[in-house]
Amino acid sequence: MHDRHQIPRGAGRRALLAGASLGLLAAPGILRAQERFPARTIEVVTHSGAGGGTDITARMMMVQAPAEFGVELTVVNRTAGSGTAALAYAASKPRDGHTILLITQTHLLTMLRNRLPTQLDDLVGIARATEDPQVLMVKAGSPLADPQAFIAASRGRSLKYGGTHVGSVDHVSIFAFARAASFTAPTLVPFRGGGDIIINLVGGNIDAALANPAEAEAQIRAGEVKPLMALSRQRLAALPDVPTAIELGIESVAATSRGFAVLKGTPEDRVARLEEGLLKAMNSAVFQNYLRTSGQAPDSVAGRQVWQRQLAAFNTEGREALTTLGLMR
Amino acid sequence: MSGVASPRREAGVALVVAAVAALGFAGTFTFDEVPPALREGLGAAEFPRLICIVILALAALLALQEKRSEAAEPVPATGWWTFAACAGFLPVMAVIGMLPAMFLFVVAVGRLWGERRIALLLASGAGLVAAIWLVFVRVFAITLPAGWLGEQLLG
Amino acid sequence: MDAFLGGMATLGDPFILLMVVAGTLLGIVVGALPGISGSTTIALLLPFTIGLSPIAALAFMGSVYCAANFGGSITAIMVNAPGDPSASATAIEGYKLAQKGQAGVALGMSAVSSAIGGIVSVVVLIFAAPLLARAAYSFGPPEYFALAIFGLSMCAAIGGESRVKNLIAAAIGVLLATVGIDLTSGIDRFSFGITELSDGIDFVPVLIGLFAVSEMLEQATLRGVPATIIAYTSAKLPSWADFRKCNRSIWIGSGIGTFIGALPALGATTAALVGYAETRRWSKHKHEFGHGSLEGVAGPEAANNAAVGGSMVPTLALGVPGSATTAIILAGLMVQGVRPGPHLFTEQPTLLYAVFASMLAANLLYLVMGMGMAKIFARISLIPPTLLWPGVFVLSVIGAYGPNQAIGDVVVMLAAGVVGFLFRRHGFSPAPLIMGLVLGRMVEETLKQSMIIFDQSVAGFAGRPIALGLLLVTAIGLFGPALLRLVRRGVPA
Repeated sequence: MHDRHQIPRGAGRRALLAGASLGLLAAPGILRAQERFPARTIEVVTHSGAGGGTDITARMMMVQAPAEFGVELTVVNRTAGSGTAALAYAASKPRDGHTILLITQTHLLTMLRNRLPTQLDDLVGIARATEDPQVLMVKAGSPLADPQAFIAASRGRSLKYGGTHVGSVDHVSIFAFARAASFTAPTLVPFRGGGDIIINLVGGNIDAALANPAEAEAQIRAGEVKPLMALSRQRLAALPDVPTAIELGIESVAATSRGFAVLKGTPEDRVARLEEGLLKAMNSAVFQNYLRTSGQAPDSVAGRQVWQRQLAAFNTEGREALTTLGLMR
Repeated sequence: MSGVASPRREAGVALVVAAVAALGFAGTFTFDEVPPALREGLGAAEFPRLICIVILALAALLALQEKRSEAAEPVPATGWWTFAACAGFLPVMAVIGMLPAMFLFVVAVGRLWGERRIALLLASGAGLVAAIWLVFVRVFAITLPAGWLGEQLLG
Repeated sequence: MDAFLGGMATLGDPFILLMVVAGTLLGIVVGALPGISGSTTIALLLPFTIGLSPIAALAFMGSVYCAANFGGSITAIMVNAPGDPSASATAIEGYKLAQKGQAGVALGMSAVSSAIGGIVSVVVLIFAAPLLARAAYSFGPPEYFALAIFGLSMCAAIGGESRVKNLIAAAIGVLLATVGIDLTSGIDRFSFGITELSDGIDFVPVLIGLFAVSEMLEQATLRGVPATIIAYTSAKLPSWADFRKCNRSIWIGSGIGTFIGALPALGATTAALVGYAETRRWSKHKHEFGHGSLEGVAGPEAANNAAVGGSMVPTLALGVPGSATTAIILAGLMVQGVRPGPHLFTEQPTLLYAVFASMLAANLLYLVMGMGMAKIFARISLIPPTLLWPGVFVLSVIGAYGPNQAIGDVVVMLAAGVVGFLFRRHGFSPAPLIMGLVLGRMVEETLKQSMIIFDQSVAGFAGRPIALGLLLVTAIGLFGPALLRLVRRGVPA
């Protein structure tokens, strides 16, 4: 299948000339390396604009990756439609391993909600890059600033949670958390970004939020936001005094995860090569430092088995939540 | 630039504005239904409908105002051809790619506007495209549409 | 004080100074080019800053950010193509000045007012950042709603002669802002299944279309008409009298820009538009607006550069980015191991003051460079239109395509170009439309957020003094003059 998409022999020189004039190729070398993989620039497709969180993850990985793969890497930002355009772009490219997607749970929800031609079954996870656990946060000093009081209040009335847009990863996580804890269905107050949510939490406009520890670090240190419980399996190194939801009897974990994937049909040996190279690149000092300083879990980087399992689990959770919320189209 | 009083022209403009508002208003009825879990409060259609009504009211005001307005001079042939060149840019880009289409545009429109020094036009087009390629593609690594031709050449 | 001096002293380090110079130059260039903004540049260079010391990295990023905002005004003035969205207000009057052969005066004034705005905001940042940052907590959805209404209320006054037409343009802008997925219901609106539209109409292509492409189409209709020979006075720089005239506008712009920039949800573009409207409101030469007013360049340019310092306030003091660019600078800070927040001001003052010092230096540098280059850039006016305008179109295409790399954005730009052309022919102005597009989304979203917070009861606004106050100011601004006239007429002479 994939052979059909490969560059025909002899087209190389023309391609190189055309590439120079069309501005398509960043690295030459297309002539020599027909059998070698990777043979040309690897495109990393993301739904995030330049400078967005996911874009930065890609660029941090790319500091070391060229040395591992022996070719250049370039980020392709396709921002439209919460992943729709990124998935469509990848699907338009040959499945030869030279186009990899940096995906998040957002892509899965987009695929589910909009019934895109590409679904989770069409993706093959390669490696996880970041794992950022969600923490339930409330305003410090409010009557809710105690886990037991919070749980009691949540079972009596519908609390207002700040989150990103309707049908987002936040929305699904809040829904799944409230259900696991058998809370009264919470009310979502949608905001454009994480910063707005924290500010409105401090400002008293919302009751609670699920946020990554780094997002609220300044406010936690200043004693304005209180982290109530971590939605992770173990307590977080950054917040050792904060119990996990599981300790409090709520079987719920949630995290913001990013990782790499290719479309199904990419040859198995190339997937293995990509996994090996990406893992090496992400275990470099630069990337590990990035993980540490941006508050991601130290065991963020994981191979395809872990990542694939996680994607499948989130897909199931997402489908359930979206169906119950009536958000499937 | 002689100012000509022509209330009828303002009425025409008001009609176009009203048509836009009416179209927008009609468009709000094509929206999906708000899921039951979120149905409380303001939905997706109310705000755009309100704005459309505001525009309709303003259009009526404009029609009634009968304010003097300068009659614009008719668009000369060059203008129409320039419009055509802009509209044609996209299909041409789809076929030959963005950078070659840009080169063609600079040369063709420059000629159209009466530039006789062909060598200067070619040099200007080539220089501009080369500069764009250098800055946007080489330095900032932005992928430009290669067009049908580019896809063929590069497989 | 020691920390302050220590921070300033870091500029003595030749390497840091080199970073500031390089950042400023790069910033001017990318700012002037449509399609590459300061934020894109900083994002792309982020991985390279890892190898630098925190101070060097921040000095570099800060300089790019400061200078890019100024750079945007160059293309805005010369060819009506705002290189950066925040320069759109500058294009309104600046390009008119260039057409009158006063490009050098406009460019020079832009450099001076940008630098003053930038410096004022950095000084405010030094002395009042933690204090000002607390104000962000007092601004929730109801307050932003009131602020957005305040901004929209200015639309009748900015732009063309006819208030009705200005309002129509503004309302169309607001309607355009509703395109895409609704934040609070998740419903796709007016996007007709086009993926690019479901995220909303992007601001940059609309701007480039309305300003640059429509200008090219306008120029096309002038072919055959002998080209107006723009006198060589283009290269003349502003005089002392010019500065004295614009003094007030610069201070108004600086104040507005710093405040709006410090609010995390509003950015330099809004600051510049509000700065433009307020400059006009308080100007003694109102009749010049719309026909090439130098104050109309000074006000918004001071405002958008003041917004740069302003947006660093929440970024550094709260760890919440105040703009797209500061979001990336924030990421850069984190990678360097610097944790922003109130404690930064007590724990790492030297680093902080070094950043402030480099931002001050960047503002002074681009002032010098900008003044020097104004004479050169002004000669763009002398390029024959047959070469210039097709080139501007090509730059517009890449400018619309660049940020999202979406062809849909090029289509939007072309459509906006035609709309802009029709607007001109029928006496409408693009300025209120842009304002409507910028603030329209905020009006709707903050209203809906407020209603959710208030459990769907409008009475909730009664408990928000800041929101009420802003709405009151809006009402006074709208109906005050008319009321005053009524009262005066009532009082016997």
